[in-house]
Amino acid sequence: MEIKLPGISGRNGDAILTSWYFSESEFVSEGENLVEVVTDKAAFDIQSPCSGVLERICKKEGEKISVNDLLAEINENGSRNG
Amino acid sequence: MDVNDLGTVDYREAVDVQHFFRDQRIEGKIEDTLIVAEHYPVVTLGRTSGEDSIIDAAYFEDLGIEIIPAGRGGKNTYHAPGQVLLYPVIDIGAKKRKDISYYIDFLETTVARSLGRIGVAAERTGRRGVWSGGRKIAFIGIAVRKWVTFHGASININNGIEAFGHMAPCGETDITVTSAKEILGYEPDMNEFKAILADQFEMDMKEYYRGAGEEKIKVG
Repeated sequence: MEIKLPGISGRNGDAILTSWYFSESEFVSEGENLVEVVTDKAAFDIQSPCSGVLERICKKEGEKISVNDLLAEINENGSRNG
Repeated sequence: MDVNDLGTVDYREAVDVQHFFRDQRIEGKIEDTLIVAEHYPVVTLGRTSGEDSIIDAAYFEDLGIEIIPAGRGGKNTYHAPGQVLLYPVIDIGAKKRKDISYYIDFLETTVARSLGRIGVAAERTGRRGVWSGGRKIAFIGIAVRKWVTFHGASININNGIEAFGHMAPCGETDITVTSAKEILGYEPDMNEFKAILADQFEMDMKEYYRGAGEEKIKVG
């Protein structure tokens, strides 16, 4: 599943990706905090919409991101034990 | 709406309380809640504090004032007794406008109107925060988890403002900071201001989120 930056701020869609809570190849459960972005005086946690293995991180910490940018891909067929 | 006045507490203690209320709100165990507090002197660094967050570290070190990271948006700021901290724990995801900028607009409006009620002419401008006569009097830095807010606003009421001259508040190097005491020439009553702030917050929330979930707010 593709993880994209949702529209969280009407004023300005730009944000900075500040922190990944998981690394590539790690298992993420649905609803867990996946990534933190900062926008417009706010730090915002984005939760994983599904369970699976964080297969690919597409944006690095510190990168400027916009609404609908692809942040990561999660393999829903991946298991906790690989 | 429930209002919890923590009194004057260590910054970290207030963060722990916010996390507790935030998690309770996420789990639906409590309604929207306001936390107000004052903090012992401390400099906090928001999530985007960087090299542009100029701080005269030696000045704060000499005074024994810690410089610590904070899990909110924004850059650096200073807290001390006499400054009112407003930490709303609000489920904006349950309301029609799931929009962080809109929420911050609302927060700034509430602070400006509350200051107006104690005789301080304050306004929102094109820059974040709340301003009075071109000087910054309140600072914004929030965090949101599962659309529940925490952190919030700090408002200079009776605190000294000299420390702000030893840093670039919010990373801004071209601003002057003020306080209600400096503007009014006397010290407004802190408890009265906190009560006004809570009252104004509730009124403005109905205005900003009218028809968008205000039935979830417990009044009284």
